Amino acid sequence: MFSVIIYGRNDSHGYNLHKRAAISFNALAEVMSDPDDEILFVDYNTPDDHPTFPEAIADTLTEKAKKVMRIFRVRPEHHAHLKNKTHLVALESQSRNIALRRSNPKNRWILYTNTDMLLTSRNPKESMSDILGALPDGFYQIPRFEIPEMLWEAAFDRKDPVGNLVKLRDWSVRFHLNQVVHNFMPMRYDALGDFQACLRDDMFAIHGFDEDMILGWHCDSNLAARLALYRGRVDTLIDKAFGYHCDHTRVAAANNKGRKTTMNSHDRFIWNVSTPYLPPQAETWGWPDVEIEEVRLDRETSYERFVAGLETAIKPATVPFTNTSCEWHLFDDLTYDLPHTLPFACDQVLTYPKSTVIMLGATRPDFLTGFAKAWKGMGFTGAILVPQECEGLPAGLPGVTQAPFADIVRKTDLFMFEFGLASQKVEDPTRTGREASATDKKRLKTLERLFREAASTEANTRPARRKLARRFIGVNVIYNKYWPIFTDYVGANINPFCSQVLAGSPLPEPTTVRGKILRFRKRA
Amino acid sequence: MSKPSILNFLMRRSSAHPTADDLRSKDPERKGQGLFRLGRSKMRAGETEAALAEFEQALKLLPNYAEAVAARAESLDMMGKIDAARPEYERARSLWAGQRPGAPDRSYLFRQRGRFTFEVDSYELALLRVKTGSFPHLACGNALLAQGHPEEALKCYDRALKIKQNDPDLTALKGEALSMAGRYKAAVEAFDFALATNPKAPETLNARGIAKLGLGDLAGANADWRRQLELLPAEQAAARACVALRLADYAAALPDLEKAITREPGELYWQLYRQTALRRLARPADPEDLLPAAAPAAEAAFQKGVAAIATDTEAAKVAWRETIKLGPVSLIEVCAAHNELSRL
Repeated sequence: MFSVIIYGRNDSHGYNLHKRAAISFNALAEVMSDPDDEILFVDYNTPDDHPTFPEAIADTLTEKAKKVMRIFRVRPEHHAHLKNKTHLVALESQSRNIALRRSNPKNRWILYTNTDMLLTSRNPKESMSDILGALPDGFYQIPRFEIPEMLWEAAFDRKDPVGNLVKLRDWSVRFHLNQVVHNFMPMRYDALGDFQACLRDDMFAIHGFDEDMILGWHCDSNLAARLALYRGRVDTLIDKAFGYHCDHTRVAAANNKGRKTTMNSHDRFIWNVSTPYLPPQAETWGWPDVEIEEVRLDRETSYERFVAGLETAIKPATVPFTNTSCEWHLFDDLTYDLPHTLPFACDQVLTYPKSTVIMLGATRPDFLTGFAKAWKGMGFTGAILVPQECEGLPAGLPGVTQAPFADIVRKTDLFMFEFGLASQKVEDPTRTGREASATDKKRLKTLERLFREAASTEANTRPARRKLARRFIGVNVIYNKYWPIFTDYVGANINPFCSQVLAGSPLPEPTTVRGKILRFRKRA
Repeated sequence: MSKPSILNFLMRRSSAHPTADDLRSKDPERKGQGLFRLGRSKMRAGETEAALAEFEQALKLLPNYAEAVAARAESLDMMGKIDAARPEYERARSLWAGQRPGAPDRSYLFRQRGRFTFEVDSYELALLRVKTGSFPHLACGNALLAQGHPEEALKCYDRALKIKQNDPDLTALKGEALSMAGRYKAAVEAFDFALATNPKAPETLNARGIAKLGLGDLAGANADWRRQLELLPAEQAAARACVALRLADYAAALPDLEKAITREPGELYWQLYRQTALRRLARPADPEDLLPAAAPAAEAAFQKGVAAIATDTEAAKVAWRETIKLGPVSLIEVCAAHNELSRL
């Protein structure tokens, strides 16, 4: 019957976003009763190494919300061409159009709202699906009522949408929440963007939201102006449903700078709209030719993929715990516990697209074997590219291609360098003062050279289709000699030694010793 | 002073809706709309009961006045009379939905349903504050044109064009008003201007075709409609079918009519037009007469021609000439009749 379209990203937009959003997702799912109903969440520009926002809060969502939610993940790479044109990190028009293009064609209605809204039908027996199902064609708005921050934060239980809606009905009377704020037409009510229900066919006919609106605000009013032209009227559903907004102004959101807020032009996008249509974007709105990943919370979750991958690569521990040490006298010992480290390495890649191609420079044959199994088990379809210069690694592994470094450096989306001792076996002890053999040293030297070259030339070797820097993952690069080397080239956080893994983007200028000396001499 | 008057005085403006003349009018339509606007003013001023009385008066004059039914429902709702309000809201929606929209191949504005008194009232209020925006003028113009008042609509479009000069979309709408007013030459010029900026505007091509037909240029009209047909995507089946019918190209119309029926099975005109196409293609068709009882005379005359053509060419000619005489040049049947006659 209807597709709800909302958007956001895995950040902290406004006060207590996680609670607001969970309350809202669960409440929206609760008012759906048609099997075709869906919540389309566009996760816009969340960093590649983060999960999408709904995945990050999945434990607080009801089974129903997880079932009806489809997440469209728009990668930073997709946003790169717009990055320099806007101060915003998430774009409303683009997001909503991407969802519209991919919405269920069986649904007659599209409902535009936001991640902090709860809808209550005035007749508790009616779902939103019932209400919309019985409506004649049109463009409908409802007024938005505010919920004081204390109420939703203190009294709502994220996983009890039914209870929350009961409380809301009670509060609305007890605390006089239901105040209708009328507005100039075509914005029939204030804050209209929190409920605009329109026909899917109408949205396709008018070419979706205006994708020129990239400075924030008024996208909803522009849509109202265009749909008001198209339909002639803006109808109300005030007799059928009320919409409640979880007020979140204790902390201003990133797009709210008071009177200094940058906004899309009122005049251009509302008061001088002269047609419902947007011919310049008629063929391109919603990025029909861009492959957008769809993530589900009710199947093939990241956790399920992680488990599936690692189960093929490592066996469960047979002892209560194992040992290692970060004492400084062990700085030169490059042994590490592979079954312990592999889950942390896999954790670094899981949120990337399944089609990702990764270059893996390694020294330990068992790391390559284990990682290749896990990679496949996690559902990745992209190849693992191994530089031929890395000697002693097994050949012919499924999904692994070995080729000269120069040939593969331009083909990879992600880099992983593993600095271990080629001679270490999985059963060998860890960090007991072991010295590298001549073979170990030779292979490490080669790997170090490849790493320096890859990191320092990343911008030059980046594939033409990519605009953003590729990420580097270092395995076994904490509290040993590869820690400073890795971080000279890669902007990585300080991570716990126990994880063994660092990751980040290549620095614009490597922090090499030579560079440091030059800078010191300049200062002197 | 009443609250609206005080409000007007405080805001240093004259009444947004000088309804006095309307309220004195003997024309029930005009008086009914005046009462509605008076009711809306009272509603905005918080005089809900007084507003309700005005809406009820308006409904006595115009029982099917959907805007007044909706406003009455909202007033009752505000007064806590929820059970009384609920069926009225539904009735308003049914009234709007029951009105026949314009042909889907024409400008969006002809597909709108209602008297738009609420909208015009609101846009006029917006104009008190919004001095540099063309939108309220345009929206008022559309509402007036949809109700069949081209001269008044023209004034609105001209005001909008003063603010947004040479805007092709506004110019195209002005062209629609000129066309409806019978000023076809000026209309074609306006459409030419709009199409020079956006030659792929199907609705403007349709409108220019109609205006050209108004000038007697059937070949020019057909060329525009053929171009429109090329531009319309497959999913706009109803619009495609209507363009094909204007061209009297029944073979092209038939598959799109089938699709339109699948999407809108309750739309009687798609059934009627499908029957028309089948008959003109000499294929088996439902013998039952599908023409709605309330159909305009021009539509009925066209169907007479369709029924006669197989056996009596002269009778068909007479019927189609009658269609052209009775119907507006924008009517699908009138366009089709021109094409039919040109082939006989």
